[in-house]
Amino acid sequence: MADGRAGTTEPVAVAAAVGFHGVGKTFSVPGGGTYTVLHNLSLTVGAGEFVSIVGPTGGGKSTLLNLAAGLLVPDAGDVLVFGEPLRGLNRRASYLFQSDVLLPWKTAEHNVMLGLQFRRLPPAEARVRARDWLARVGLAGFENRYPHHLSGGMRRRVALAQALIIDPEILLMDEPFSALDVQTRQIMENDLLELWQEDRKTVVFVTHDLEEAIALADRVVVLSAGPASRVLGEYTVGLARPRDVAEIRLTTGFLDIYRRIWEQLRGEVAKAYAQRQR
Amino acid sequence: MRSGRDNAEHGWWAGREVLLAVQALVLVVGLVLWEVLSRRHPGGPSLDPFFFSRPSLIWGRVQQWFTSGFIYRHITITAEEMILAFLIGAALGIALGFVFGRSPLVSRIFDPYIKVANALPRIVLAPIFALWFGLGVLSKVVFGVTLVFFIVFFNTYQGVREVDRNIVNNARMLGATEADLVRHVLLPSALSWILSSLRTSVGFALVGAVVGEYLGAARGLGYVIQQAEGVLDATGVFAGIVVLSAFVLVVDLVVTVVERRLLVWKPPAATEEAR
Repeated sequence: MADGRAGTTEPVAVAAAVGFHGVGKTFSVPGGGTYTVLHNLSLTVGAGEFVSIVGPTGGGKSTLLNLAAGLLVPDAGDVLVFGEPLRGLNRRASYLFQSDVLLPWKTAEHNVMLGLQFRRLPPAEARVRARDWLARVGLAGFENRYPHHLSGGMRRRVALAQALIIDPEILLMDEPFSALDVQTRQIMENDLLELWQEDRKTVVFVTHDLEEAIALADRVVVLSAGPASRVLGEYTVGLARPRDVAEIRLTTGFLDIYRRIWEQLRGEVAKAYAQRQR
Repeated sequence: MRSGRDNAEHGWWAGREVLLAVQALVLVVGLVLWEVLSRRHPGGPSLDPFFFSRPSLIWGRVQQWFTSGFIYRHITITAEEMILAFLIGAALGIALGFVFGRSPLVSRIFDPYIKVANALPRIVLAPIFALWFGLGVLSKVVFGVTLVFFIVFFNTYQGVREVDRNIVNNARMLGATEADLVRHVLLPSALSWILSSLRTSVGFALVGAVVGEYLGAARGLGYVIQQAEGVLDATGVFAGIVVLSAFVLVVDLVVTVVERRLLVWKPPAATEEAR
């Protein structure tokens, strides 16, 4: 709940799974000039913690995830993974992208197997584990389907199995359910929570949907509108687990925290909207 | 409801059998007209058999070629040239397309040369190749390769360049090495582009072989047609064209089967999906 403003001396937990320390990132704009996405941003995510990051569109949420994944390198500051400075790709993390990234020329089973194949596991064993994971995400019997034969929700499930089969310590998720309809989305959210409950990996979940953020997370981090996004506020979500995302939205505890965060987020959304109108 | 609308759009001939029957009818009418006109005495509207031959003569010649076995070695040699030109052209196109697609520097340096080479009407090279590589199989294969190469090259280049960046990033996050990336992501992506142009490139391989033979050879279907033309034998020219057409149909059938087997994962062209 502390205001994680730039430069404040917040205590850094030793066991933090992901730590951003004074991180800045600037991109050059195609037409010339630069755009500063993040400026002096500090944030830590504890091991086993489920953290949601919300903020207006264009607020650098995805950039933050790409930095944690090692797909981008910060211009300033450090990204620490379990206390170690991140070099190259983050080998302890899986990344669930917003867009559809399944390989269309591979069946569901072969898509899920990929991570194990890259780790040179014997194909027979990889196959068994891929089938097991497909069953765990509710897709038993769909092993030999190609992605275009699966619905949007099913493709998300395959992607989830693909990300989890390599047993990452950290799961980075970039608006993974934003393309789904509301009902499918709630089912997926509940299934995600159920899977997470089993071994409590560290999750960094980016979304622009505040309800989703609160319903899933232990902690909600609010980013400011770009340019130069920073952490505006952090809110601990003290709601009991296991949760049902559809029902928890109706509880007073949920509405209470929703109101508090929205109070702060509202101004940023308006700011971001005004900027895009210009 | 649906079929009613289809009927309104396509009319009474929408049925497959009816359509086939009408198509066959067009052929028969054309052939009969040709036959009759070529048999009429001068004076009325007619086709001089010296220039236009006639279907019965042409068919007789084709039969004679097959029963005497004369045509087989020519078909074999043309097929051989076509297959070699396709395989070599495709292999070179894929290899170089990959290098260009993966290295912006290389593609920027060689860009003008590739463009010029592609714009050049390749037929002007055929005599040079005949000079360099003789009248045998080699000159036709090289000529065919120059035709096939560019089609496959541009498609590979496109396929490698157009891979969704997130798909590549996803594979890398899952632990893919550069070699894994090529094998599981880039090559299949390029392959789907190459396969979509398979018909064109196989067609060009055949054009290369036949045109090469026509310009100078001692064997092959192009040579057969050119020989007939040399002695003003219209029947021989048409018979050669008939055999060539039949050959093209067979090749086309094979390509269709290969395409279907390799692109099972592709969504049908008109997808109902919104995403």
